[in-house]
Amino acid sequence: MTDAPSYLSPTGQEIVFLLLGAVAVGAALLVVTTRQLVHAALWLVVTFGALAGCYLVLTAEFVAWVQVLIYVGAIVVLLLFGIMLTRAPIGRSADLDSGNRPAAALVALATAAVLVTVVVDGFRTAYAPLRAGGGSAGEIGSSVFRNWVLPFEALSVLLLAALIGAIVLSRTDIRGRG
Amino acid sequence: MNGTIQAPTIEYALLSPMLIVFGAAIIGVLIEAFAPRYLRKSIHMPLTLLALLGAFATTILGAANGLPTSASAMGAVAVDGPALFVWGIILILAFVSVLLINDDEQFVAQAAAVPGSSDEEEAVRSGYAQTEVYPLLLFAVGGMLLFSSANDLLAMFVGLEVMSLPLYLLCGLARRRRLLSQEASVKYFLLGAFSSAFFLYGMALVYGYTGTVSLRGIGDALGAGSGQETLLLIGTAMLGVGLLFKIGAAPFQAWKPDVYQGAPTAVTALMASTVLVAAFGAVLRVFWVALGGLEWNWQPVMWGIAILTMVVGAILAITQTDIKRMLAYSSVAHAGFLLTGVIATGAAAQNAKALSAILFYLAAYGFTTVGAFAVVTMVRDAGGEAGHLSRWAGLGKRSPFLAGVFAFFLLAFAGIPLTSGFFGKYAVFAAAVSGGAVPLVVVGVVSSAIAAFFYVRVIVLMFFNDPAADGPSIAVPTVGTSAVVALAAAATVVLGVFPQPVLDLADQAASALFIR
Repeated sequence: MTDAPSYLSPTGQEIVFLLLGAVAVGAALLVVTTRQLVHAALWLVVTFGALAGCYLVLTAEFVAWVQVLIYVGAIVVLLLFGIMLTRAPIGRSADLDSGNRPAAALVALATAAVLVTVVVDGFRTAYAPLRAGGGSAGEIGSSVFRNWVLPFEALSVLLLAALIGAIVLSRTDIRGRG
Repeated sequence: MNGTIQAPTIEYALLSPMLIVFGAAIIGVLIEAFAPRYLRKSIHMPLTLLALLGAFATTILGAANGLPTSASAMGAVAVDGPALFVWGIILILAFVSVLLINDDEQFVAQAAAVPGSSDEEEAVRSGYAQTEVYPLLLFAVGGMLLFSSANDLLAMFVGLEVMSLPLYLLCGLARRRRLLSQEASVKYFLLGAFSSAFFLYGMALVYGYTGTVSLRGIGDALGAGSGQETLLLIGTAMLGVGLLFKIGAAPFQAWKPDVYQGAPTAVTALMASTVLVAAFGAVLRVFWVALGGLEWNWQPVMWGIAILTMVVGAILAITQTDIKRMLAYSSVAHAGFLLTGVIATGAAAQNAKALSAILFYLAAYGFTTVGAFAVVTMVRDAGGEAGHLSRWAGLGKRSPFLAGVFAFFLLAFAGIPLTSGFFGKYAVFAAAVSGGAVPLVVVGVVSSAIAAFFYVRVIVLMFFNDPAADGPSIAVPTVGTSAVVALAAAATVVLGVFPQPVLDLADQAASALFIR
């Protein structure tokens, strides 16, 4: 961490970062306020995309592409499939708002206030210079397969356990031999 | 960075207990895939037991070869004295619990069949068994080994998840009262996911302050002391929430009775003993190694939590009418007694004393718990286990031996002299007194007395009440179940009458403290 330069003449990077942040927040608000379920899922794509953009600006290119692949590519598609394959209402529906709306808004605002205060307070004067290529796939790969190899392997075990669990809980059509 | 990665150094010999357990779990998955159904259980059982025994043997070998002085596996895991001791306890207790699991009456025939449906009837009639429990159990045990010995927060989180996920599943596989079991499983999963999220967020904030996730690095950064403390304090609190949830300390104890009651009793025995051991290993690492420099900040909070945990556990246990729920609250109270040891820090000698006390307590408590739950599996009604306390009335007249063994376990929980519980409590409270936490010990002794009240109440119920005419039957125990009860009773007696060897072992394991 070095001394922070003045923010009065922001660099292009900083401006892009702020704009992407604004897009992410705005799209996130639309996710929870829109009255159409499919639109909510699509606004989620915008939110995740803007976040991926933020990561790119911060030179974390690998994380950015993973964000696009996993969140936009897999999770939102899963959500859309969930909407299509079930009898969820497609189109404008009036009963999407729950009665807990004010309480939920209050909790969300309070949580956001706490988090923003903590982060602003914690990093007020912190400034980390960005190094191009610091988050490249090569660097992350060598770190994962060198420093973090044991937790990495344990994670694959976790996935295997989760898979078996899903099979145990859901498949009734498996009839074993014998 | 021209496509070359230096190979990491992995201390395979030191890590072999963990690797054996994970390897056996993966072989277990292959057995599920390729072995015919009627053979599966007879392959799984010896494989699981052998794996746990083998892992235990390599743990002892590792300890005999002298302790390493630095972390293993590129700093992800610290195989030090306390870690090896904790591994040993976890592996023995898991071994004993597996003996208990070897009982078809406990697990559901087919988990995916809707309770009460014709699918379920057919599955029961065809004699299906969900033999996946064995590999899942091994996955959970492997996760515990990683969780309790992790040397950085990331590895610890991975261990936490590998431990928890199979347990969430195992909780929902009870054969009787399946809806209760599934409810327990979902509750455990949701609350556990919340606590994991807290842990992760705390990790992120602590990383924000210190710039590292390695426990040693965090400790060093605290010494350097720079930046905004808010991040660090909130991060510490959130890490604490995640870890204390796994222990079941007071404000976060709500899941324990429900989950212990709903889960198949063999799984409850496993959870009540090994998870507590593993979680205390992790708590000690985070609060002593990483946040040791911050003890002026976390100690007062921990005082409050320890007091609350002891009192809440002891008082709520009195109001319970279900034997498994009562044992769950008793486990909450015991977590509180153990927390008094976590608080008793000071100079190195004091830390070693407290650590050795905690290790001994964990060993003593784990065995007694598995034994008590093994007895619970044997007292049966038409619809499964007889959970309600009123059904236990007069058990001493119908089956004096079983009731006697159970009474003995209860006395050990209460900490009566000549049982293992006495020396465990004595050691922890003595460490707390020399650590200057006298008021805490007073609360501990008082809540021990309250706890003793309900243990004795059950004993009175069993021996001095008349048995109901249609009282529960005592299942003829399988070889496994009787072995579990015998082993647990033997351990409780030996640790209570002749605790010196284990105390010495715990002292030895604790003497070098955690490697940093």
